[in-house]
Amino acid sequence: MNSQKTSIRDVLYEPPGPRTQKIITAITAVSLVALAALMAAVIRLFYINGQLDAKYWTLFTRFTTWRFIGQGLMGTLRAAAGAGVITFALGMAMMLCRISRYRLARAVGTALVEFTRGVPTLLFIYFFFLIVPQLGFTLSAYWKITLPVAISASGVVAEVLRSGVNAVPRGQSEAALSLGMRERSVFFKIVFPQAFRYVIPSMISELVIVLKDTTFAYVVTYADLMQNAKALISNYDALLSVYLVVAVIYILINYILNRISTALSERGKQR
Amino acid sequence: MQNEKTTVIQAQETPVIELKHVKKYFGDLYVLKDVSLSVKKGEVVVIIGPSGSGKSTLCRTINRLETVDEGEVLIEGKPLPQEGKQLARVRSQIGMVFQSYNLFSHKTILDNVTVGPTDVLHKSKKEARQEALELLKRVGVEDQADKVPAQLSGGQQQRVAIARSLAMHPKAILFDEPTSALDPELIGEVLAVMSELARENMTMVVVTHEMNFARKVADRIIFMDEGRILEENTPEEFFDHPKTQRAKDFLNSIQHHE
Repeated sequence: MNSQKTSIRDVLYEPPGPRTQKIITAITAVSLVALAALMAAVIRLFYINGQLDAKYWTLFTRFTTWRFIGQGLMGTLRAAAGAGVITFALGMAMMLCRISRYRLARAVGTALVEFTRGVPTLLFIYFFFLIVPQLGFTLSAYWKITLPVAISASGVVAEVLRSGVNAVPRGQSEAALSLGMRERSVFFKIVFPQAFRYVIPSMISELVIVLKDTTFAYVVTYADLMQNAKALISNYDALLSVYLVVAVIYILINYILNRISTALSERGKQR
Repeated sequence: MQNEKTTVIQAQETPVIELKHVKKYFGDLYVLKDVSLSVKKGEVVVIIGPSGSGKSTLCRTINRLETVDEGEVLIEGKPLPQEGKQLARVRSQIGMVFQSYNLFSHKTILDNVTVGPTDVLHKSKKEARQEALELLKRVGVEDQADKVPAQLSGGQQQRVAIARSLAMHPKAILFDEPTSALDPELIGEVLAVMSELARENMTMVVVTHEMNFARKVADRIIFMDEGRILEENTPEEFFDHPKTQRAKDFLNSIQHHE
């Protein structure tokens, strides 16, 4: 609705005057030079250590290298998507427990949230990797990575969803109740859709964390981007170049996710 | 024969809304002190009084958005159910219009009006939509049907809220300070819709500070102060010859502004 965008800067600071403007320009120029110098130093360091030698980079001219990276990327995306869906389902269930009218359900919800938030992802992975098979359950590598990553993120997702639900004004549910809607309808048709809109940015941030957590896949030898990168490294003895390329790919994916998040919340604001 | 006749008369006279000795506490705060009230079919009852007098709370007990601690709320002679399907059913028959409109902010104007009929009355989408468009036309916002609430002015939003209530074909509508959040120039358009409803014999309970509206439209004025009903009279009597000192003071303080 509002064509003029207010950024957080406009809220925090008054518009700069001429003197401040000069200072800003000066600091920007100095920072740029410093940044360029740092970059040059890093590249020089690489050069001296021979990291820029052709043997470390020619592998990227081969189609098979990219196909291998592509397969890893698909593995990462599959694991992240699976874990994302499971995280959401678990988070939703825990949130519903936490806002339940039954004390026992609330207690169980709170305990699960604290447990899943408190335990490091790697511990969950070891649990699924080492303990679960001993208990007689055979899981594929895919589930050995997606389940623990999903469980680890679910508590935070539950809390994010709950904060969204709490942020929906009371008048919304009162209006729905006064129409004769039942509590379930009120929640799922009126309250939750609005709550979800509030928390889309946080949910996407959480998806980024899930995606990054899938790099633990090497523990369970699931072929994700990271795992395939390691294979490339040991084949070509090209540590830095491979990691650089893989890092750029991770950054790109997460950048795209964050763009989606911004776009969605911009659209939401028009409502 | 005799018996039959009396039941018929009773049926006609059963009030749509009746409160019997209602008491309500917010913690230590005693907000409704033995309040009794009855609203007949087609009647327009306007509740006025200083802020904090319990008018809104009273209004909200009628559809159990506020529970009562003692006393009874009767709808068409039957006790207001305390929960579940029965309560929802009674609520669906009593409309409510809020001070802050409370339109569903994620739904279009049209969907705001159709959600009740489709979800509660299980009407088809098509039927609900058609009726909603007619109602929006009636309150003068038919050209806004596909917008979302935030794109409308307060006056338009409140008129949509009235249409949303009407879509349920209610037996009565509660108005909880429907114009208090509006800019002065938008109040008239909402009051006009309400006056129109009153003319069509809608049973209405209106909490308001709009004295001109109260004088013109009300069948009965209820004056509340500190959780009690102090006066109950026709608008003419109440405004021209208030009996209690509190009512006189209240009317004086208001007239200074008008």
